[in-house]
Amino acid sequence: MTQPILELRSISKFFPGIKALDQVSFDVFSGEVHMLLGENGAGKSTLMKVLCGAYQADAGEIYYQGQPVKITNPSDARALGIAVIFQEFSLVPYLNIAQNIFLGREYSGKIPGTIDHARMHAEARHWLDVLSLNIDTHTLVHTLGVAQQQMVEIAKALSQNAKILVMDEPTAALSDRETSLLFEMIRKLQSEGVAIVYISHRMAEVFSMGDRITVLRDGKQVGSADPKTTTPDELVQMMVGRRVDMAYARKFTSKPGQVALKITNLCSDNGITDISIEVREGEIVGLAGLVGAGRTEVARAVFGVDKVTSGTVEIFGKNRTGEPFNSVKMGLALIPESRKIEGLALIRSVEENIILSGLSKIFPSTWIQVKKAQQISQDLISRLRIATPSGKRAAMLLSGGNQQKIVIGKWLTTDSKIYIFDEPTRGIDIGAKAEIFALIYKLVEEGAAVLMISSELSEIVNVCDKAYVMREGRISGILEKSELTEENVLTLGMTNA
Amino acid sequence: MRDLTLPQNSTVANLMQRIPGVAIMLIICILGFALLSPDFLSMRNIANVGVQSAILLMISLPMTLVIMTEGIDMSIGAVLTFCGVVAAYVLGQTHNLPIAIVIAVGVGLVIGLMNGAIIVYANMPPFVVTLGTLGICQSLALILTDGQSLTDVGDSIGLAYNGHLLGIPLPIYFALISYLVSYVLLYHTRFGTYVCAIGGNRDALKLAGVRVNLHHVAVYAFSGVMAGVASILLTARMSAGHPTAAIGMEFDAIAAVIVGGTSFEKGNGWLFGTFLGVLTVGVLRNGLNLVGVQSSVQVASIGLLVLVALLLDSLKSKA
Amino acid sequence: MSNLIEELKNSSQLKNLFFRLLVVLIICIALSFLTEAFFTTNNLLNVLRQASLLFLLASGLTLVVLTAGIDLSVGANLGMSACLAALVMTNTGSTLLGFMAGIGCGTLIGFGNGLLVTALRLPSFIATYGMLWILHGITYYFMGGTTLGGFDKSFRFIGTGYLYGIPVPIYIMTIFIIAGSIFTKYSIYGQQVYAVGANPVSARLSGVPVNRRLMLVYVLSGLTAGLASLVFLARLNSAEGDIGETLTLPAIAAVLIGGTSLFGGVGSILGTLIGALILTLVLNGMNILTINGNYQALVTGVIIILSVFLDLFFRKKSNT
Repeated sequence: MTQPILELRSISKFFPGIKALDQVSFDVFSGEVHMLLGENGAGKSTLMKVLCGAYQADAGEIYYQGQPVKITNPSDARALGIAVIFQEFSLVPYLNIAQNIFLGREYSGKIPGTIDHARMHAEARHWLDVLSLNIDTHTLVHTLGVAQQQMVEIAKALSQNAKILVMDEPTAALSDRETSLLFEMIRKLQSEGVAIVYISHRMAEVFSMGDRITVLRDGKQVGSADPKTTTPDELVQMMVGRRVDMAYARKFTSKPGQVALKITNLCSDNGITDISIEVREGEIVGLAGLVGAGRTEVARAVFGVDKVTSGTVEIFGKNRTGEPFNSVKMGLALIPESRKIEGLALIRSVEENIILSGLSKIFPSTWIQVKKAQQISQDLISRLRIATPSGKRAAMLLSGGNQQKIVIGKWLTTDSKIYIFDEPTRGIDIGAKAEIFALIYKLVEEGAAVLMISSELSEIVNVCDKAYVMREGRISGILEKSELTEENVLTLGMTNA
Repeated sequence: MRDLTLPQNSTVANLMQRIPGVAIMLIICILGFALLSPDFLSMRNIANVGVQSAILLMISLPMTLVIMTEGIDMSIGAVLTFCGVVAAYVLGQTHNLPIAIVIAVGVGLVIGLMNGAIIVYANMPPFVVTLGTLGICQSLALILTDGQSLTDVGDSIGLAYNGHLLGIPLPIYFALISYLVSYVLLYHTRFGTYVCAIGGNRDALKLAGVRVNLHHVAVYAFSGVMAGVASILLTARMSAGHPTAAIGMEFDAIAAVIVGGTSFEKGNGWLFGTFLGVLTVGVLRNGLNLVGVQSSVQVASIGLLVLVALLLDSLKSKA
Repeated sequence: MSNLIEELKNSSQLKNLFFRLLVVLIICIALSFLTEAFFTTNNLLNVLRQASLLFLLASGLTLVVLTAGIDLSVGANLGMSACLAALVMTNTGSTLLGFMAGIGCGTLIGFGNGLLVTALRLPSFIATYGMLWILHGITYYFMGGTTLGGFDKSFRFIGTGYLYGIPVPIYIMTIFIIAGSIFTKYSIYGQQVYAVGANPVSARLSGVPVNRRLMLVYVLSGLTAGLASLVFLARLNSAEGDIGETLTLPAIAAVLIGGTSLFGGVGSILGTLIGALILTLVLNGMNILTINGNYQALVTGVIIILSVFLDLFFRKKSNT
């Protein structure tokens, strides 16, 4: 067997406070489609950026056709024939197709300094024809649909004589027909010897297109698998973690009360369609599904962050409309997926963050009594066991688990009755996880209604009273407690294999 | 970028969408003033508008590029003024026109480079940096002239403004050449493509292996150079270097660019639109002048014009 | 007392303010050495009075900058409000109406800015820049090149009067600093404004009505400009079309020197006061040392660029 065209050995990449990649080894052969799997934050995009020269690895070696090489900038990567197509395309919206394809590599015209437009467009035309894309090369890219933009990106890669093509969720925005065209093209590239690294969550294509599968989790390489012998179940377990220590198993003692949150036929322009969910007081309802299924989008639409195009959200029978601050007033709380970007003001202190949402409830006269505010904040900090030498410390200096506690603590002073948790324990160590679950259980026992979005199957199965499973923007099924098994969740969550 | 000389991908498109809003506004202004004032459409007045707009065009063109990179140059009016004063000063000292031109342009270049370097390498917001430069240049102009006009400029420079070639006033040639240069830069060089990319998707440009920072700084340098060149025309127009001659002209330039259809996001720019925008602003000012409206109110009307343009724009995009 | 020391140790904001006070002290000492004309009662009162005026104008602006925005129209706002107040007082002879005109005008302008930013979603520097020119235009128009002056003694008192030997503007400044500090530290709105500046996304998700708070800060910026215009008018005792034109840059400088970050979420009204003091001291020093007055804009411009640069520099340091 020949050697891999590209090999990464023990690549590590550090950012302040995080190990984005921890001794990851990865290789790909010419003509192979190597599937790369992992949850958000697993390290896939960091790996891609190392490959294309946007990041430089802090440790480890890269070998190209057996020879050691260094990739220090995008030009190095290009010289090796590496082309990366990110999910957010690298296209300039108000330049045309040819200009985008040749960005940085424009042909010089006869007068020194000018561009040879004719040649660029002629070649661009050639590549578009290869891809059967029947669009004028003078078209400005921002007018194209997502699928077409992706084709332009592929044309760009082809025109660079890419020997290694890395694609990030290429079918995410494509229709079935466009997807089969893409697959046709990928098979064609394979036959021409191009090595393809393909990142995806869709089990169907992982198994139908992949020659090999590698799974990343928390920056580490968890394992490789052969699509001919592995199962989706096994892959998801690798992505998401082994059966977790159920030291924080729930004792189902709370009795469900009335319906607190009723979502009916909810549609939003963020991609969700016809969502109907009911959560009662004293219940933890799970919202499961693979990454990209639309769970966070449901949370956002329910809370008022994204616009609702049709359907209703009722909180104790009353219709919820408008901006998030209305939702808060009605008793809704959201603990968002990304605590650093959406959950906290990192430059503000722990105290300032933790009291923000509750200000109008605690001080209805709008005047803040500093002592009382401090007391409440301190009380929360100690109740939640947030580890910080002082409440005045900037939130950005705390660890992930403690930051998450601040985000949750924010809502304990707002008289909230309904909590939406979006991946509450992601990126948090075991100890903090247990504490957070204890907190959630307490809330539920005191009568709160909880909607919990989680990618960890064991969480969904062991913690929830019932679960809705989403798939491609819709609810694919409801599982009552008796039917709530990991297998059922997986089956409902996957595209038809 | 929108270059209407290259074939556009057009399916059956709404006529309203295809005709740029600025053209409509220009036509309305022309018609309006033609009705209000008999002198408006006279040959002399038209030539007047052309000549007066020349300087504005020369600074609005680089402003288009700067705004396309999602930046702004608030200092260009002050730089223009300062360079004009420098030119007058050098003329007064040396009575040598070529040297005065070289130094004035050089000063503009240096200031532009400074703006660019601070904005790009120190990563500071363009409006604040150029605001600071505005203050600095304003000061320098006052210091160099001690608050007075420098009138010892000799006779040769006046020719640049008042001279004719083939019956057409020289400033029009200046304007034309500036437009051509800007056009070629924007649509036929790598630099122009990268200007659009810096505003549209800077990361993509970086990933393409381009030395983005250098090109980014160059945009501001271009702005400074054009201010330097335009300052010659300015000094010629007044036959003197006056320390507050073009203070505030950046507003007209920004207005012209916005009215012309260039937006503050994503590198969406249209050079010809800026030309139309300059004409619109020029016609507006000229027309209001003829009708007897004073300068300060003219400025307020330009502000309203910009508001109308922005509203039209948002209405169009919703349709 | 030990509580205060604890707070001082932990609060970087207090440290920043303390450092800036030190700068004030250093400048004072340096100027005292350089010239005897500095440390006279007359001159010091002068400095305080000018600084208080600048502070009044910049106090509302501070709130706008706290939300990571800017209000470039404050100087023009002051100009138009002062001229309007002058017009009203000259035509009606009523000081009260003059007051209402000035404050009302300033507030309305602030409201207009707020609309442009929240409803039309224009970047604040463009919206307020356009507003600046529109205001200039309107002001010049109804002033028509004339000068209005000679106002009632009762009105002029707020600008030129003395109470127990201290100029009245300084009392006004004291009221403002207390009111401003109470607003930012002790009112819900103040805390929410900081949150919006620090991270508008998480503020919105935390239930802060972001658009309403944005509108609030622009209205307040206009309001303080309107108030400042009255004090200014009282001091000058005359109004022309171009007053206030040269005040925008120093106002912004005062805010930035005072430690309020252009990127939002960090800063204080007290800081702006100290910033106004520093700037006024520098310019006053330049005056006494008979440095060409034309250098003032230059120095202000350089200070602005330096302040933002330092702010960025220290932000980077604390992030790594």
